[in-house]
Amino acid sequence: MNLAEMEKQLTLMEDIQAIEDVQKMYGYYMDTHQREQIVSLFSDDTESFELESVGLYLGKKGVRQFFLENDLLKGDEMSVPNWINILIMMFQDVIDVAPDGKTAKGRWNTWLAEAMPVGGIPRQQWCQGYYENEYVKEHGKWLFRKLHWNVTVFTSFEAGWLKVPLLGLLTRPDADAPAPHFHPYPSGYHLPYHYPHPVTGE
Amino acid sequence: MPKLEEMQARMTRLEDIKQIEKLQHIYGYYRDYGDWQKVVDLFAEKDASVEVEDHGVYKGKEGVRRYYLDLLGEGGKKPPRPGLLHIMFQLQGVVTVAPDGKNAKGRWYGMGMEARPTASLHEGELRQTWIHGTYENEYMKEDGKWKIKKLHFNLCFRTPYESGWLKVPVVGQQGQDALIKPDAPPTAYFPYPSGYHVPFSFKNPVTGK
Repeated sequence: MNLAEMEKQLTLMEDIQAIEDVQKMYGYYMDTHQREQIVSLFSDDTESFELESVGLYLGKKGVRQFFLENDLLKGDEMSVPNWINILIMMFQDVIDVAPDGKTAKGRWNTWLAEAMPVGGIPRQQWCQGYYENEYVKEHGKWLFRKLHWNVTVFTSFEAGWLKVPLLGLLTRPDADAPAPHFHPYPSGYHLPYHYPHPVTGE
Repeated sequence: MPKLEEMQARMTRLEDIKQIEKLQHIYGYYRDYGDWQKVVDLFAEKDASVEVEDHGVYKGKEGVRRYYLDLLGEGGKKPPRPGLLHIMFQLQGVVTVAPDGKNAKGRWYGMGMEARPTASLHEGELRQTWIHGTYENEYMKEDGKWKIKKLHFNLCFRTPYESGWLKVPVVGQQGQDALIKPDAPPTAYFPYPSGYHVPFSFKNPVTGK
């Protein structure tokens, strides 16, 4: 291995680290309702943003629409009622950087403990779902190019997923389209893996 | 300034750890979806084994096939039962690569949500359960790729959602399957509240003990 090859390997490891960080920071910004910070993590060439039943938003414009016009978080950030709790734990990442080092894909597992209004009523929830996201390197920084959170269960703390797989719909009329991949438990839907099998390559 | 070869060896070690973490994460995703053949293909051809909870030890690649494809996958004869759910978060990996760079060990937490029958592996009313346990796994590099050599999931609790681990530590103890038999009984099955701790594959980084 010569110095050039080693630098390439080092860059790949740094890229993976940077992508993990941007995803986790997104989570911390979400949980603390820092909407402008979230929007800044998206590329101007963002393809789409899809969230559970909420809908599909297109482009950076859609990202702005979703986060800045969010009726949960109207007004300035301090106006979010204190009892509203967003907690998205993100882990189990599988990150694959494209050979050109400019784009990447990542799958994540998530576990959520939340409190927010559902159907106008304050509820406490357990949720689980997976991300299949895409990232792009622009001016040396990794940003979201596509974000998709696919929910499996969205249940009340009191009932559990077997009894109440879906506590309620969170659809928004300002989305560009209904969420194309919203198939919660017990549909048996499998969110496709972006990666080939690590051993067989298939 | 270290020599290029030394830097290369350090880089390779870091990459090995990263690849093994990724392998275990991918195992989790395939296992969640019951993609049994994909799970089996993650295991090494040589000296593979799998031991989960009280099911016993299945040895060799053939044993791994029997465990995942025949026992859990019911031989592919039936489609998965509607409502069956098994999501196990793969958390907190500590991966130790051996000096030879060809073998490794990893300790992980598993935490999960299930909907499953508890009276037997495949029949009976579905219950919703929280599950938690510890993995102590071994990995080996075979044909230039990291594979799972030994997977051992040691159950701490599997509790009904409605009860919790203090009131009901374990529901659905299966024991060893009468038809698709393991090659050996469980090496360690002592769920909560036994106080049992799975032995650590790693050494204290400060004391070395």
